[in-house]
Amino acid sequence: MGVKRYNVRMAGLGGQGVVTASHILSNGVVISGGHSSLVPFFGSEKRNAPVESYVRISADVIYEIGEIIYPNIIMIFHPSVITLGKSYTMPFYTGLKEGGVCVINTGTPIPFTADEQKGLDVNDTKVYNVPCTEIANKVAKTDLATNMGMCGAIAAVLGMPDLVSLGGSVKDRFIGKGIVVSGGTAALDSAIEKKFAKKAKLLEANMRTLYATYKYVIDKGWGHPDANLVDEEELVANACGTVNV
Amino acid sequence: MSLDTVKPAPGYLEHLPVEYQDLVKHGQYGKKKKVSDMGKFKELIEEHPMCAGCAMTLFIRLVFLALPKPEHTIFVGTAGCGRLAISQGNVPFIYGNYGDTNAVASGLKRGLELRFPEQDKDVIVMCGDGGLVDIGFQGLMHSWFRHEKFSTFMLDNEIYGNTGGQESGMTTKGLVAKMSPRGKVDDKMDMLGLAKVAKLDYVARIVPTNPARVVRTARRAILVAREFGSTYVQAYTSCNIEYSIPTPDVMQDAFDKEKKDYGFEEHISDRAKAYLDDIEKKEKAAAKAAKAAKK
Amino acid sequence: MSPQTAEAKSNSTSKHVNVPGKPEGWVPAGDLQEIVTLEEMQKLPKETIFMTGSEAARESIRRANVDMAIAYPITPQSETMQQAGYLFDEGYIKDYYRAEEEIGTMSAISGASRAGVRSLTATSGPGLMRGTEAIASWPGARTPIVMLNMCRVINTPLAIQPDNTEISFLLNTGMLVMHAENQQDFFDWPLIAFIVSEEVDVTLPCTVSVDGFFVTHARGNVAMCDKKYKIPPRDGWRNAVPSMDNENPPARISRDAPIQKSNFISYHMHASWQQEVFSAVERSAKYFDKYLGGLIEVVNPDAEEMIIASGAAVSQAREAVRQEEEKGNKVGLIKVKTIRPWPREQIIAAAKHAKVILVPEFNQTGWLHKDVCTTLYGKSTASIYPGPRVFGGMTMPTELILDWLKDIREKNTSRNHF
Repeated sequence: MGVKRYNVRMAGLGGQGVVTASHILSNGVVISGGHSSLVPFFGSEKRNAPVESYVRISADVIYEIGEIIYPNIIMIFHPSVITLGKSYTMPFYTGLKEGGVCVINTGTPIPFTADEQKGLDVNDTKVYNVPCTEIANKVAKTDLATNMGMCGAIAAVLGMPDLVSLGGSVKDRFIGKGIVVSGGTAALDSAIEKKFAKKAKLLEANMRTLYATYKYVIDKGWGHPDANLVDEEELVANACGTVNV
Repeated sequence: MSLDTVKPAPGYLEHLPVEYQDLVKHGQYGKKKKVSDMGKFKELIEEHPMCAGCAMTLFIRLVFLALPKPEHTIFVGTAGCGRLAISQGNVPFIYGNYGDTNAVASGLKRGLELRFPEQDKDVIVMCGDGGLVDIGFQGLMHSWFRHEKFSTFMLDNEIYGNTGGQESGMTTKGLVAKMSPRGKVDDKMDMLGLAKVAKLDYVARIVPTNPARVVRTARRAILVAREFGSTYVQAYTSCNIEYSIPTPDVMQDAFDKEKKDYGFEEHISDRAKAYLDDIEKKEKAAAKAAKAAKK
Repeated sequence: MSPQTAEAKSNSTSKHVNVPGKPEGWVPAGDLQEIVTLEEMQKLPKETIFMTGSEAARESIRRANVDMAIAYPITPQSETMQQAGYLFDEGYIKDYYRAEEEIGTMSAISGASRAGVRSLTATSGPGLMRGTEAIASWPGARTPIVMLNMCRVINTPLAIQPDNTEISFLLNTGMLVMHAENQQDFFDWPLIAFIVSEEVDVTLPCTVSVDGFFVTHARGNVAMCDKKYKIPPRDGWRNAVPSMDNENPPARISRDAPIQKSNFISYHMHASWQQEVFSAVERSAKYFDKYLGGLIEVVNPDAEEMIIASGAAVSQAREAVRQEEEKGNKVGLIKVKTIRPWPREQIIAAAKHAKVILVPEFNQTGWLHKDVCTTLYGKSTASIYPGPRVFGGMTMPTELILDWLKDIREKNTSRNHF
């Protein structure tokens, strides 16, 4: 791992699965043998309201807790976090450490204001635009898989967790019983499950979305040297093969 | 506790206070006492610091007499006059915080059911109108709607007696009291109605004019609570101080009140009725047999 | 104290014939667990699981042989107590219900404890304040109860965020107060709390407080033994005062209301009763010491700069210690595990070398700082700094502690100290 520690701040809208994404990323890191902790920032659970979640990733034991005020990675799940100010943290890059990375879910570059552009420039921030929702719509046929796309993208940027561990984490999330979800999230789960009559299908769609954004980042040349693609079919089979349906 | 627990080890009795000796020799443990026995046995509650001529005290003594199993009974009360007498009884008494009776009793009764699954333990809430319908209203209602298995006895003097005569939810409309300087604006709260809405298995309203009826009512409420869930007895127990009733006239006031707006009412669910009929029939038969044997 | 009656002896098995919704012959999962002492449990092989604080609490409760759990939902406590509901459904807890609100909750759980059964509740900030009339009466009523407290802002403006001011309201009630740092503590400590609070010479309620969200909703590594084990049940016969079960020779037992009149006897009675409660708090220290491996934990004991902290602030301080170490500076840390009993002598000894002491806290009032100052007055020449403090739900970035240390070293500070 290049840096000793990554402090990741995720910002998005209620219903996008931001908290779920942080659980998946965090758990994926743990599965891969690293250390991780996460803190969701809870407002009221409301569809479309701002949501933030924070993940710490490290090769070493993590002591620090609480929200991350000074992240080195920011993930923006929806352009309106920036353009409409749907965020608890304004402007969106506040606190980002020098040389930090900002991954934005968008197909087209966000028209930053002059102040925003300046804020990013003086801090030497790298901005990576990854069209996660487009990819989710194309691969999983639903924008509900956007958060999977974001997980795939960030894993490639950080070079951790590896794709197989990340896939294992997704499997844990939907098949295992390890992760406690809130009432609203549980309701969304059942909505998704209705769409995918079988959990295996749901898992497969998620896996393929993960893979697609992971690959997108590598193809763009933003991937960490440690980020390696695995065989897509093997990844899917690995996750879905043992599913009880 | 086992009735053996009441008795001290051999040779030890004579060294105990005379009150305890009386309790062992002439108490009501293991024996069913009637109102007509009063004065001839050692009551569970005798000394108390209540006002002379207080009707509440009479009612409390009668309920103690009615206890089906005093050795397995626990009282729960709260601030108010009643606790001064109840706490003097030879039955454990929990004097909790303001208005917490029915919540404490809920936890207590359930806890006792866990520890003593084979032994009925009767939990009885007994406290004033203010403690139940004002500060304790929420706990009272929720214990009823949860059908917690204990009985609630309201000592309804229609006022805050212990704090010196403030209006309560059970004060009658129009009464000028402390904190209702222009007369109470609203009606007396309809707790019997609420008890019916909560579908309690046994609900009664009573004035202690007929002691035998008080004993029968109390006993029924306790037995039904043990078996089915919450029961409620609302008893008029005048405050002769705050209502300026001369001591010799306390009983007359009770009779007048009963006639005016506090007539005896008893509402028993079908299942509770069948259960009580069965018990009371057996008791009658046993009493008859005992009488015949005596002859 | 009391002879066990025949009916009382048969109390060990719970009534579970015809449990609604369960098939005939259903056996509660708790009945299949194996009882081990807490010492034995602490030595059992452990598996490490990455889980939230709420989940850690659930796993602790599963192994705690709880008879009765009563609670009212409040953020951020709800996730734990609704899971306690599932544990009840599985048969790990014998009785459970959602109470009407916190006065009802805290009163009912005291009723359960008076009955002699192991009693659990949990709450957060505003709920704790609502229930405080009842909670403040628990120690005097000598009711062993474990109350998990997932700290939350209590003052206006209303917030659901973590801030542990409410702990200060518990410090002088006579109850035992533990302040857990992380998910592991939140698994280990409730078990300890039950065992210590039910010791005969203690017989007091115990709160295991933890900073809400930061610990309850965040995941961390928790090492735990297999779920087939549980600690021994509460023995309702072993108390400093009799249970309210009417299993003792008849007497005027109104232990909750010994004071009926204002006179010298009642004053004396009240005073001695309170004295005994606070003595019991002190007596609990030996048990906490045994099960916690000390009331405090010390990192870098000979450092001249020390941080004294409890709860989540300890984690932030650990990170500060690590980052200072990387820069070649030695900073010490004292983690205070039990706030009541207060480890006075231990803190004096551990702070002996200190020239500078920082007391970072997640609250505005600085209750820990006050206790530290009182303890070290006349016993230490260190400058004791009241902070850094964050509140209203704010986190405490490690950078903030590092800034304070830097300012103090460079004497570039207007910060007050004592």
